[in-house]
Amino acid sequence: MAKRLILYLSADEHLLYRAERTALELEGSFSADEAGLDAFRDYLQGARGALFAVLADLAGEDFHEEQIPAVRGSDREALLARRLAQRYRDTRLVTALSLGQVLAPERRNERVLLASFTNTQQLSQWLDALEEAGARLAGVYSAPLLAPALASALGARDARVLVVSANRAGLRQCYVENGRLRFARLERTGELPPEALGRFVRSETQRLVQYLVTLRALPRDAGPMQVLVIAPPGQRAVFEQALHSDGRLTFRTIDYSDALRAVKLRRPPEGGGTEALFVHLAAQKPPREQFANRDERRRYLLWQLQRGIVAAGAAAFCLCLLLGGSRWLDVLNVRSATAEQRELARTAAQQYARITSSFPVTDTSTENLKAAVVEFRRIAERSSDPELAFTHISRVLQKFPQVELETLRWSVGKPGEVRLAPTRTASPGAADPVETLVVVEISGRVNATQRNDYRGITAQVQRFASALVGEGYELVRTQLPFDVTSEGVLSGDIGSAAESGEAPRFTVVIGQRLR
Amino acid sequence: MRLTRDEARQLATPLVLALAFTLAGAALVWSAGEALRGAKRNFATAQTERRQNTERLARIAEEEREVKEKIDLYQRLKTLHILGEEQRLEWADAIARIRKERELLDLRYTVERKRLLTSVAAKPGNVDFYASAMKVDLALLHEEDLLRFLADLRESGNAYYAVKKCALMRTGQPISGASMTPRLSADCEIDLITIVDPAKK
Repeated sequence: MAKRLILYLSADEHLLYRAERTALELEGSFSADEAGLDAFRDYLQGARGALFAVLADLAGEDFHEEQIPAVRGSDREALLARRLAQRYRDTRLVTALSLGQVLAPERRNERVLLASFTNTQQLSQWLDALEEAGARLAGVYSAPLLAPALASALGARDARVLVVSANRAGLRQCYVENGRLRFARLERTGELPPEALGRFVRSETQRLVQYLVTLRALPRDAGPMQVLVIAPPGQRAVFEQALHSDGRLTFRTIDYSDALRAVKLRRPPEGGGTEALFVHLAAQKPPREQFANRDERRRYLLWQLQRGIVAAGAAAFCLCLLLGGSRWLDVLNVRSATAEQRELARTAAQQYARITSSFPVTDTSTENLKAAVVEFRRIAERSSDPELAFTHISRVLQKFPQVELETLRWSVGKPGEVRLAPTRTASPGAADPVETLVVVEISGRVNATQRNDYRGITAQVQRFASALVGEGYELVRTQLPFDVTSEGVLSGDIGSAAESGEAPRFTVVIGQRLR
Repeated sequence: MRLTRDEARQLATPLVLALAFTLAGAALVWSAGEALRGAKRNFATAQTERRQNTERLARIAEEEREVKEKIDLYQRLKTLHILGEEQRLEWADAIARIRKERELLDLRYTVERKRLLTSVAAKPGNVDFYASAMKVDLALLHEEDLLRFLADLRESGNAYYAVKKCALMRTGQPISGASMTPRLSADCEIDLITIVDPAKK
């Protein structure tokens, strides 16, 4: 943190204060002559990096009210610069304070209070010293510029307030109208006893009010004006005796210690006067308006820019930290929920294991047991035994003694795997998908029948095939020893002596659905 | 305010600092985001596991009934050594024994290489069903011999014998008085099915 130093300039002596948040400490004292200036230059050699502000508490401060057209931005700046240049020959230390807008007959105007010092020389040398030392100058203020902030801190509620304080430089009187500085003056006091100082305050206040009325800065029929008088330490009672209110002035005397509390200055400099209040306000609540120009404050503005950039980075980091922190909180919540889910899963698994431990003893896991048995059953359902088919055929054959069996082919499989004739007999439920099929192909001969007796052979084979149907078997195909269909060729050799003695062969195919 | 070269240089350090702050913050946010995504993934996994375990627990009564219903068959598969690795020597012994006991005339067989029939997903590991195709040629005096052979084979265990094909035909050989002449011949294809259960104790 950079050291913040306030150079308090009065006509006789210049004091350098080090400001902290709620404390002021006297850092050095310099006489208002060449020797003091040299000492200040020497001091500056060892104060690199400090932030300086100058608080002038000098007589000869000029205030002049003007009206300018109500414009903004660079136009306003240019207009004010021109007015200030017209008003003051030396524009090094000038400023313009806005007093609000007024509605003129034709246009809207802004009331401004132009302010400067009649003798800037007494300030310039010290500002030059700061410039030569490369010091960072935050601003040049005068005690009156801080008066509105002081009045506000002291709880002034009236529209017109006169703030009076006995500073080291003299009796400072500041007229504040609607929270804005309107006029100020400094009257040297010298070494006066408290009673005399009280009387002096009263007489000077009456004079100032008269002057303000003359200037028309204060309406003649404005009623009693509140005067806030900050009494030096231990002199409040004496001041209150001297400052009794009348029809024009309402005095309110404030003890120095109360004023310190009001501006939140807990540790004032030892031996300091009421100027400490102004110094503290210059350090902690500097007003926007001040006398130094932009070039004189350049190093300070650069310092502000540097701090601003770092602060922006830090702010971005803090924002990310907040966002990241929020996400980490979410992570913790999710992890906690995950742990809860895992605990529930573990409990369920333990419960399952405990219950299954009472199951019949198996040599495998429950899932493997189920998988093995279910799949085995499926395989077994798709298997068959040829004995069943053989028994069935044997039983039918007993009824057909003229049929002699030659070959029996039994097979089981999916419809694509076993041989099926294209002219398959339709049967009830044929539309149902068939998973496994038993197919038996029976080849044999028909004995005791003339080979040329087509009708007789056909009838016998048909009867035999019909007898095979039943007990789950369906007729798949019948192949006669000759082709009696219209697509085939039918031939005969009736009465021929060279007739073959071989019995005619036939084939019957039956099928059984397993599933 | 127009900056001079020297003033611009004086802003370099603050700019680097600000950039470092910003990058550090961004890294923090990114790492927190990654951690959050990871945590959400873990949460989803844990939630699924919890749901599965809870559902399994809810089905436990049905499971108990299933176990009771299936345990007998499983034990029988185990007793018959259908569960377990193939016992090819046992198969050969069994066929030789059946031939001898049934006084079969001629018996030739070949057992093919084992093939995976199906693999059923289970926990802790899949249950694999293997099949080895066996081709048998038999010379028979009577068709009953084939049926008895198949029945004996089934009784011998060490596999589940799923007959795929069987053809029975006359040999046409004339019967001679001196020796036993086979009247029939049979050739069959039989799948010898075994089950490998990795969880079996």
